[in-house]
Amino acid sequence: MMVSLCPAAEWRTDDGLFTDARFDPTKRNFLRAAGLLAAGMMVPQLKGQRRNEGTGRDGPKVVVVIVGGVRRAETFSHEGLENIPHLVNDLLPQSRFYLHTQNLGVTAHFNAISSILTGNWQRVDDWGKYAPTTPTMFEQFRKGLHAGRSDTWIVASNKALTNMIGASSANGYGPEYGANVVFPKQLMLMAVEEALRSGRTANMADRARVEAELQRALEGSNYEGLGWNVFDAADQIDPRVRGTIESAIAGFVHSGGPTSGDELTFFMTREVMRKFAPNMVVVALSDVEAAHFGCYSMHLSGIRTADRITLQLWQEVQSNPDYRNKTTMIVLPEFGRDPDGSSTNGFFNHRANEASTRDTWMMTLGAGVEKPEIVERPVHHIDLCPTVADLLGYKAVASQGVGLKEFRA
Amino acid sequence: MAFADQFAEELQKALDRDVLKRLPLTFQPFVNEQLRRWEFLFPNERQSVERLLVYVDGLSEAQSSTLFHEVVDLEQKMGVEHWHFSRSEQTIQNASLLAGSQYFQQWRSAVQVVFDAADQHAMQTHAGRAVARNRLVVMNMPRRLPVHPNTWARWQRIGKPVALDLRGMPPGKTSLEILLPSIGSGVSVAANAGGAAGNQETAASASADMWMLDAGKSLVEAALPPAGKPVKGSDFILLSYERLDKFRDNFSSSMNTMRKDLTDADSVYDRLRNVSVEPWCPPEVENSAAVREYVRALFLSGNGAVIFCNSFVQWGASEAFRRARPYVLAAQFGVRDKPKPFTGVAVFDNPNEVNPTPAVEDLPGSAEDAEMLSLYVWLSALRYTEYQSHTACICIAESLEQAYLIAPEDFPALTAQKPVTLTQLSEILRKWVAPVPA
Repeated sequence: MMVSLCPAAEWRTDDGLFTDARFDPTKRNFLRAAGLLAAGMMVPQLKGQRRNEGTGRDGPKVVVVIVGGVRRAETFSHEGLENIPHLVNDLLPQSRFYLHTQNLGVTAHFNAISSILTGNWQRVDDWGKYAPTTPTMFEQFRKGLHAGRSDTWIVASNKALTNMIGASSANGYGPEYGANVVFPKQLMLMAVEEALRSGRTANMADRARVEAELQRALEGSNYEGLGWNVFDAADQIDPRVRGTIESAIAGFVHSGGPTSGDELTFFMTREVMRKFAPNMVVVALSDVEAAHFGCYSMHLSGIRTADRITLQLWQEVQSNPDYRNKTTMIVLPEFGRDPDGSSTNGFFNHRANEASTRDTWMMTLGAGVEKPEIVERPVHHIDLCPTVADLLGYKAVASQGVGLKEFRA
Repeated sequence: MAFADQFAEELQKALDRDVLKRLPLTFQPFVNEQLRRWEFLFPNERQSVERLLVYVDGLSEAQSSTLFHEVVDLEQKMGVEHWHFSRSEQTIQNASLLAGSQYFQQWRSAVQVVFDAADQHAMQTHAGRAVARNRLVVMNMPRRLPVHPNTWARWQRIGKPVALDLRGMPPGKTSLEILLPSIGSGVSVAANAGGAAGNQETAASASADMWMLDAGKSLVEAALPPAGKPVKGSDFILLSYERLDKFRDNFSSSMNTMRKDLTDADSVYDRLRNVSVEPWCPPEVENSAAVREYVRALFLSGNGAVIFCNSFVQWGASEAFRRARPYVLAAQFGVRDKPKPFTGVAVFDNPNEVNPTPAVEDLPGSAEDAEMLSLYVWLSALRYTEYQSHTACICIAESLEQAYLIAPEDFPALTAQKPVTLTQLSEILRKWVAPVPA
């Protein structure tokens, strides 16, 4: 929505009637109980297990799952728990859970994800026209450990991102050290547009033919057209990637499951993990952003999809020999959403300067988590970047963020 | 800059004295745009601009510097004078620049303080001008929507559920279609009485006193004259999502062509701001320039109004409260289709055009949307002092045979011991919006 200079209450920064579902003590007790219960069942990991040096299939790995804007009210609150059964029941008991993870920067997609990736609050153009101004974790990792391009990937559903998200404009860094950037949903959009333009819309109603349409969109375009940036090839499909994408499309189309943008993003991520086993994978999910259109049920459905996909990614980490026992998975929303009754139309948007919008949570799982616990100390989105450096064993560039002490050796 | 020529005398004098030059940079796009579009503003909006400018005009240089001190200070910190910032109109570029600044939230608060001061001044100088009148917000979730039995929990006990007796409801009609005629007659009486009592606001604002927002079309069509008769000014501003289909389709197609780039977005929005929309309007919208422009602005401001019928109702109501402060607002929610497999990502495209798979209604999803959005309608009203007292809100869930009622303690249905019939409710609401005898 356009920001306009409107009279009176339009500008009120009040909380509205139902401000923010603050984490109440009962919920905290529940989480603590969940964590403590699980603690007895967990075998603590040795620190050395997560300290493998070097890159490639044997090195330590990090998978970051960034969900779009979700409020505590619809997730980790009494009312929200039903939307995240896998996070709560399957993953929370084995996680280190940061109860208050705050986005203190610009609560819009490109800047929020840039801030997570760089460890600095970014304030660049929100349409993805400019790259983040300080080095991303991809660049720091690749430069620091001389890692190859296939070691870092970002697979994202969010339409607000561009290939500028993969590397910064910082001196001495930049695209040369950037990540592969893939937007699977963009492929779907292009297929829809192409089918519409060519009068082949009937194909979009036939699961078998959808695959051909997606393939056609892929072949008829180039990475630039899709907004992708894979192995620096802008005008042709890299042969190393073609098979990966085709497998992902086939899995997506024939799974018989849901067909949202996040679903394709999951299949693509899984194929990338299987084919390239990158050390650093960032997945950005955005089905929850149906909220912008006021469709609350589809927003909740997006949360449930993200919940399920997070579990599926964790299962992939557990079953894929390249990832098992050496991967830390981190899950966090970009930000919350505005509180009910706010002048910014509540859950539709994410620009109010309120706890509901800024205060969210982060779940960490796997190799970096020695014991399940709930951390109540507030941490920040920008703390993730230096923490990943600690986990993968490279020296982080100085940033506003601070590595989380629980992950330090 | 060309402005309308029908300003009130006081405002015209302020403009003649160059009051606009005394405004901070970030106020100028808004004020200039409002003055230029004066004929399309609702009375409440005109009053707001008028209050601000007349107030500033009456201040000494020192007083006006004090009033704007914080805004100007923040503008300097933000470096607004170095921005590519339109002073004549609000643009996406302007909005993006402001929102991207670290001082954005402080700036918003500072702007609010200025408008509050102007409102306060107007209240003091026009004491007694605003006559308190009862207001009504009435919403309906028709029977087809399977509303969750626990739905009222979301309202956090700000009101209370009331049992309804809907047995006499004629088939094919919704409760709101039955209730509205008497509500309308009550308000008309009130408007006339208010005029006779010398309420200066009433006559001018009569055209925006009653609003009806319909996710389908049956409610609005029930209020229209029989087929073949010309649509004249109605007591209600009538807005039907279904009847605005041409308008919506044309807007969504244009939005779909927009590249991901600020300049392109501004150019598409510019085109949509200026394109002639009359051919896309149903008669009840085409007949009023202010309403036509309201719909245009509504669709341009996002929040799903172009795409989902229930979002149209909620966001439309929210904008009606903000811009027009109606005495009665009636809203009826409806049913949307499920997103189609694979093509659901293309939200701005017409789903039936993109994918020939037959549309399937999403009744539970639509109910879930309506449950949340009905609360949002009320919360959006509550942001304005006009609705914080003397206002009844009634939200009907036909499938539950219940309504949720928020009203002053003496509101009759609050004390009902038995389920309330529609006839009884109709009479209660008519009396509520009708003037209190002197």
